[in-house]
Amino acid sequence: MISLDGVSVEYENGVRALNDVSLSVAKGEFAFIVGPTGSGKSTLLRLLYREMLPSKGTVKVDGEDVTGLKPSEVPYLRRKLGIVFQDFKLLPQKNLWENLAFALRVIGAQPREIRRRIGDALAMVGLTHRCDSFPHQMSGGEQQRAAIARALVNHPTVLIADEPTGNLDPDTSWEIVQLLEQINVRGATVLVATHDNQIVDRMKKRVIRLDAGFLTGDQHKGTYQQNES
Amino acid sequence: MNPSSIEFLVQEAFTGIRRNGLMAFASISTIALSLGVLGAFVLVALGANHFTASQIGKFEVAVYMSNEAGQAQTQALADQIGKMQDVASVKVLSKEEEWARFKRSNPNIESAGLQNNPLPFSIDIKVSDASRTTYIANKVRAMKGVRAVRDGREELGRVMALARVVRGVSIAGVIILLLTAVFIISNAIKLTLYARRREIRIMKLVGATNWFVRVPLIIEGVVFGAVGAFAAWLLLRLGGSYVSQSVAKMPFMAQFSSDIQPSTLAFALIALGVAIGAAGSFVSIRRFLRD
Repeated sequence: MISLDGVSVEYENGVRALNDVSLSVAKGEFAFIVGPTGSGKSTLLRLLYREMLPSKGTVKVDGEDVTGLKPSEVPYLRRKLGIVFQDFKLLPQKNLWENLAFALRVIGAQPREIRRRIGDALAMVGLTHRCDSFPHQMSGGEQQRAAIARALVNHPTVLIADEPTGNLDPDTSWEIVQLLEQINVRGATVLVATHDNQIVDRMKKRVIRLDAGFLTGDQHKGTYQQNES
Repeated sequence: MNPSSIEFLVQEAFTGIRRNGLMAFASISTIALSLGVLGAFVLVALGANHFTASQIGKFEVAVYMSNEAGQAQTQALADQIGKMQDVASVKVLSKEEEWARFKRSNPNIESAGLQNNPLPFSIDIKVSDASRTTYIANKVRAMKGVRAVRDGREELGRVMALARVVRGVSIAGVIILLLTAVFIISNAIKLTLYARRREIRIMKLVGATNWFVRVPLIIEGVVFGAVGAFAAWLLLRLGGSYVSQSVAKMPFMAQFSSDIQPSTLAFALIALGVAIGAAGSFVSIRRFLRD
C-alpha cells in the first residue's frame, strides 16, 4: 500500500530530515511512526500526501509513484487519503456538519451523497448529536473526532494522522487511538506519527522508529522504547 | 463540473464575503478609493485635453484681399476655399461693415486723417484640423486677388505644444495611477486571501483541485472590484457635480469640461474594477496554492 525506497529529504538550508529511509506498509496495516521531535516523522507523512518531494528515492502510495505526479494530479491522490492533524484544522466559521460537507463539496460530491456519507462518518466517531456545533463549542477530543470524521467521509484507503493526540489528555488520547483502530479494522491502512509512548505501548502495533532522519527500528507488536530482542 | 458544484462555488464566494465582512469592507473601500483617484485624474485629464483642443479649434486663418478685389471676387474665392479639404467654414467680411465696426471702436480715426476706407475685403477660414493650418494658408496665399494671409502660426504652435504636454502628462499620469491601483488592489486581495489561508489549505488537503479553490475567490475578487468601482463612480459623480457647479461660474472654466457620459464612465470604471479584481485574485491565489 505504502512503500518508501531509499528516500532522503534535504531542506534548502542543508538540514537532512530523512536519510535513505526504506520501508513498506501493507494494505490494512496499522503502524505507528515514533521518534522525538525533529526526527522526521512529519516529513515522512508529508511525502505521502505530496506536500513535499524527496530529494532522492521513490515514494509509492497505493502502487503509484507519487513523486512523479503532476501538480494537477495531486488532488486525486489526496482523495484516496484521509489526513488528521494535531491542531485538527477545522474551519472555525463552519459548524461540524458544514465542515464535513465542505470536504465533500470541494471534490464535487452530490448533495444526497454528502448527506449519506456525513451521517455514516458522524455515527462512526460518535458525534451525530453535535452536528450543529461550531469547533469552538467542542472539546479537544470532540474536535479531533470531528477531524477524523472529515478524513473518513471520502472513504480513504489510507488514513494518515500526524500527532493526533498531541493536544489531548491521556484518556481522550486513548479514545482517539481506539477510534483509529476501528477505522483500521474496517479496512483502511492507518499510519500514526506520535511521540506518545503510553498509547504506543498499550496498542502493541507495528512501531517504526526514526531518529534524526534515520530509520532506527521497525518492530511488529512493538513498544515505544524498543529493546532489540 | 456539475450544476450543484457551480451553485456551491458561487454560494461559497458569497458566504466568504459575508463571513469575512471586515476584510471585504477593507478591500472594497481600497478599490473604491484607488479607482476614485484614477477616475478623477482621468476626468481632469480629459477636461484639460478638451480645453486645449477647443483652443486650437478657435484659430482662424485671416485672408486679406487686394484693394481692387470687390464683393463678387471675394465671394467666389471664399466658395473656392470652402471646397478645400479640412476647411470647416469660411466667412466673408465686407469692407464697409469692417470699416463701420473699426470706426465704432476707434471714434477718432477720421479726425486722425483717415477719411477713406483703407480696409480690404477679407475672409475668415475655420480649419477643422489644426495641423493643416499652415498648408491651407500657403495654398490660399498663392490664390489670385489675395494680398496677405495671416495664419497665427506662432501662437498656434505654442498652443499645440501645450496640448502635447497636457496629453503626455495625462497619459503618463493615467499609466502611473493605473499601475498603483493594480498594486494596491492586488495587495488588498492578498490580505483577504491571507486571512483565509487555513481554509485554502484545508481545501487542498482534502483533495480540491486548484480550480475549485480558485473559482470562489475569483468570484469574490470580481464582486469586490465591481462594488468598489461602483462606489468610486458614485464618489466621482457627487464630487464632480459639486465641482462643476462651483466652476461653472468662472467663464474660463466653461470649456474645461469633458463630454464624457456618466454611463460611459460607470461602464469603464466597473469593467476596470472587475478586471483588476479577477486578475488580482488569480495572481494572488497562486502563492497560496503552491505548497
